[in-house]
Amino acid sequence: MINIDIGATAVAVLTLFGIYALMAISLNLEYGVAGVPNFGKALFVSIGAYTAGVTYTRLLPLLAGLESIHPCGPSMGAALQLRSEIMATQPAAGFINLALTFALAAAIAGAVGFAVSYVTLRLKEEWFLALVLLVGGETVRILVRGADDLICSNNGISGVAQPFYFLRDPGASSFLFMLLALALALAAYLYSERLVRSPFGRMLKGLRENEDVTRGLGKGISLARAQIMAVGSLIAAIGGVLFALNTGFVNTNDFVVNLTLDVWVMVVLGGIGNNRGALLGALLIAIMDRLAQIGAIILNMGGSEIEFNYVRFIAFGLILLWMLRYRPGGLLPESRLTTEAHEVVKRVIGAAK
Amino acid sequence: MTPLLQLHNIRKDYGGLRAVDDVSLAAPENAIIGLIGPNGSGKSTLIDLIAGAAEQTAGRVIFAGEDISDLSADAIFKKGIARGYQEPSLYFKMTVLDNVLLPVKDQRGERPWYAPWRRYWAHEEAGHAEAAVTVLEQVQLLQHYDTLASDLSGGQMKLLEIARCLMGKPKLLLLDEPTAGVAPKLAYEIFQQIARLRDDYGITFLIVEHRLEILFDFADYVYVMHLGNLLAEGTVAEIANDATVREVYFGD
Ligand SMILES: Nc1ncnc2c1ncn2[C@@H]1O[C@H](COP(=O)(O)OP(=O)(O)OP(=O)(O)O)[C@@H](O)[C@H]1O
Ligand SMILES: [Mg+2]
Repeated sequence: MINIDIGATAVAVLTLFGIYALMAISLNLEYGVAGVPNFGKALFVSIGAYTAGVTYTRLLPLLAGLESIHPCGPSMGAALQLRSEIMATQPAAGFINLALTFALAAAIAGAVGFAVSYVTLRLKEEWFLALVLLVGGETVRILVRGADDLICSNNGISGVAQPFYFLRDPGASSFLFMLLALALALAAYLYSERLVRSPFGRMLKGLRENEDVTRGLGKGISLARAQIMAVGSLIAAIGGVLFALNTGFVNTNDFVVNLTLDVWVMVVLGGIGNNRGALLGALLIAIMDRLAQIGAIILNMGGSEIEFNYVRFIAFGLILLWMLRYRPGGLLPESRLTTEAHEVVKRVIGAAK
Repeated sequence: MTPLLQLHNIRKDYGGLRAVDDVSLAAPENAIIGLIGPNGSGKSTLIDLIAGAAEQTAGRVIFAGEDISDLSADAIFKKGIARGYQEPSLYFKMTVLDNVLLPVKDQRGERPWYAPWRRYWAHEEAGHAEAAVTVLEQVQLLQHYDTLASDLSGGQMKLLEIARCLMGKPKLLLLDEPTAGVAPKLAYEIFQQIARLRDDYGITFLIVEHRLEILFDFADYVYVMHLGNLLAEGTVAEIANDATVREVYFGD
């Protein structure tokens, strides 16, 4: 028998939902709205996580007024103890560190997203960018894993505590962390909704539907796509910071292509081009993730040899194919774009009558 | 007066095929210029070259005294050249209104840092919406402002394409068969509309058209292409009576 704590499970699922929502919204802006197939989502998420790995080991001690200890090699244990102690006793340092981590991760990911897509899209079409990001993501992962000093290669960085750790009450601190994740997801959602319902969103949808015509109508389309990639990438990186904090661990193994595939499933399942669809997709996948974990435990207790990760992988692949075949718009298809211009025209017509 | 548009020995090779062979032409301001010729004679290619959708192999394009040969399509639109397409090329999944609002130049709300904050662009957008009302009224599409472009009739689509161009305030409009697939009566009306735009706004039109009987009623000057070459040019009367033109065009 296993006991499932409903409350803790709900908090865990909702936290994961918040984190996934950030990733899904970012892909929805890029692919759903602007038609840029970003197959490097894992790269931009990982930038957030790696940034956390660096700030928690280098910046945090300085903010606490202490000297940092090299996190890798022989001093690994001492460094871990140092940051755990700071996170447990100096919440101010923890919060400032987190704020700086968000800012830094967003800036780096945004700049990388902008630069890679601007250069690539000027040379070739968007599927070439997809390939560059797919290969680039994996290359960066291998480079980071190979770098002994950055996040300690294969060992990764543990003890990346979430900011409410100082409460020393796991229930309360996870609850607050869940609220933080949900608040950031909500902010990203509201921001994206506004973006979509603006002239910028109209231009992006235009170039998704017909790139050549949009260029012919005076729009600098490489720039517009690079801009939305910058926005999407920085949102993804914020998701990546939370992802690391949620597991308490930064490790390159978390950022393989599977993560990119997961985010694609969320968007395709929820509704391409619809921010609410992205939220729904994120929620469904967060729930499925949790169920899969429980399923794996039950299976293993039953002595089964089946590796549940593969079941999940295959299930996601099937969902993707099924949706694309039978419901290409997703569960919540895109709503028609409108700025207030439609109301203005309605009023003008009404006044003329 | 220098012409609004001048082409100097424009050439376009597609592999071994010379689609446009050293064509030179000029279009004055405030005129309707016809561009005719049999299928495959290079008319659409010439439009693409002027609009920057294709790159010429050789030759120069001068617009309003400026060499625009090497500019990209978006830069050329901003200079004041708008174009229609031979194939229907609207934003079919957008409303009629969004179709005409998209091409408005220099929209503040198109910049990502302003876009989420309506107060920076709502006023401007309302102004554009009012301009759109005027333009849509001219092409009798105002009552369809909230319709998806894909739900329009063939003739309405052609009119919407012209309206979309107008929102960019062009000085030169390139139209590739603006009456294709349109009933004769409406086709005539489209040309009447074009003539009105020429007269009211001083816009120059370069129009590829197969329906000579209509074009000849409206064109101020006509160029004839054949196998990538410029075969003849002149007023409607001159072209209609030109023996070589009659030969390639009507086979007599
Ligand atoms: N992208 C391209 N690649 C290769 N060949 C092309 C391309 N575009 C046009 N051509 C060729 O160039 C020639 C001129 O074509 P174009 O479309 O300009 O003719 P057109 O006068 O517009 O004909 P139509 O009246 O049928 O529209 C044709 O032989 C065509 O096959
Ligand atoms: Mg043609």
